Amino acid sequence: MNRQERSTGFGFVAPLLVLMVVAFNAPIAYMLGLAFWDKGQGFTLEHYQGLLEAPVYLRVLGNTMRIALIATLANVLIGYPLAHWMRGLQNRARLVAIALVVLPFWVSILVRTYSWIVVLGNAGLVNRALQWSGLTEQPVQFLYNELGVTIGMANVLLPFLVLPLFAAMIRIDDRLLQAAASLGAPPRTIFWKVYFPLTLPALAAGTLLVFILCLGFYITPAILGGGRVPMISNLLDTLINQIPRWEQASAISTILLVVSLLIFAAYRRLDRTASL
Amino acid sequence: MTGGSPWSRRALAAVGVFGLVFLTVPLLIVVPMSFSSARALTFPPPGFSLRWYAAFFGDPRWMDAMWTSAALASLSSIAALVLGSLAAYGLRRGSFAGRDWAEGNFMAPLIVPTIIAAIALYLGLAKVGLLGSFIGLVVAHTVLNVPLVMMVMGVAIREFDLRIEQVAWSLGASWSYTVAKVVLPNLAPSVFAAWIFAFIGSFDEVIVTSFIAGRYETVPKRMFNELVLEVNPTITAVATLLIGLTVLALAAVTVILGRAGKLRPTLA
Repeated sequence: MNRQERSTGFGFVAPLLVLMVVAFNAPIAYMLGLAFWDKGQGFTLEHYQGLLEAPVYLRVLGNTMRIALIATLANVLIGYPLAHWMRGLQNRARLVAIALVVLPFWVSILVRTYSWIVVLGNAGLVNRALQWSGLTEQPVQFLYNELGVTIGMANVLLPFLVLPLFAAMIRIDDRLLQAAASLGAPPRTIFWKVYFPLTLPALAAGTLLVFILCLGFYITPAILGGGRVPMISNLLDTLINQIPRWEQASAISTILLVVSLLIFAAYRRLDRTASL
Repeated sequence: MTGGSPWSRRALAAVGVFGLVFLTVPLLIVVPMSFSSARALTFPPPGFSLRWYAAFFGDPRWMDAMWTSAALASLSSIAALVLGSLAAYGLRRGSFAGRDWAEGNFMAPLIVPTIIAAIALYLGLAKVGLLGSFIGLVVAHTVLNVPLVMMVMGVAIREFDLRIEQVAWSLGASWSYTVAKVVLPNLAPSVFAAWIFAFIGSFDEVIVTSFIAGRYETVPKRMFNELVLEVNPTITAVATLLIGLTVLALAAVTVILGRAGKLRPTLA
């Protein structure tokens, strides 16, 4: 008995496996079923046809893609220099910087999104500063439009890019860069020919991860968009909770799921290269 | 290294500092705002008051939501901890057909967009008549927090010396006895960290909860619903309390793992 148990270890995994199959896999399978099934008809693609015919769905999809791309790009433009700068810091300063990236990562997304209402509102910090410095007369409308949603999403997702990128950068051996310098390469060449290529797999992996998370974002567009910036998730919310059209919601979810899993597969491949 | 000219180094530092400010300032602003005496969200706050905390603690609906959140997070984090730790142990130490598949499946809730998990659980729970039930919430939160437990415990078990267990077996201890008396006491700091992460994960969960909770209110669900409707300064007090809870929890994890010399794998 003991020997048998030791050779497999399956007994330890079984309870969780049962729970996952019942409470996670089965509901997702049921949802996939709804997307391709119709009462009386059996298998159907009719729910997908419905999606193509309604321009509102395509508009929301385009919206989501655009916001996700811009937020991801903003993440790269801030995150890469930030991680690179952290790598060059002295020990204590570096610990403080890591703590300042990790802490927001763990604070509720709801809180982080809400704080932007306080910061970007008409009487908020940013508008106060802009008006005080004389750059603008009227408060700038940051909230309840795409700008606010993009800022909020970039903020929430930044740690997802910075932490793995920083981990990859810290693994790069300084002696490699010194060797390049001793051979006479100027700093710019060292950065672009040696350092940057070494960080590229981690950068690509982090970018894909952020992009997947952007596609499924729900809270930030709902709060900072004020209902005026619909993304896929908010559309799904409407189709489930307000005008119950479960089949349509299932069909959209299936597309989102497949796209996310495909991007994730690419991420896994890159991530493996990055951690070699 | 890779420094370049002083000018480019300064530009890099400027972007770096901007990044840190961008990440932390929103959190730092909320705290003083929660002590504001004004109804409008003006910064800096015109005066000091505790009225928003009084509004929070004096509102039975918020207090109800807090108890629901606490009960839900306690139950689901313990379930996720027990099931996830056992499974992490079986995955690391055992070998059976479909092991990689099982591990991928356990991590799936982290990869599948939460909104999809929310919709699938909504449809599934509606099908079996458990939509809006407390048990449905506990099960959903357990499933969602399993990946956090698996990540922390997976690393801890991989780093724990297999030979110590082998000694126990060679002395005639059964596997379950070895786990209870040898492995667990050694992994206690990681178990604690995993539990904290699962607890926070559940306490902060909004999306799935909003979909499946029915008439149950949790703190994040209530906060989300209020935010969509109007901006009520009581939320600044709730947000400050949640930030405080997170800081405390992370500090506890840092101290306990730091004492056990296991800090790096969990944070990076």
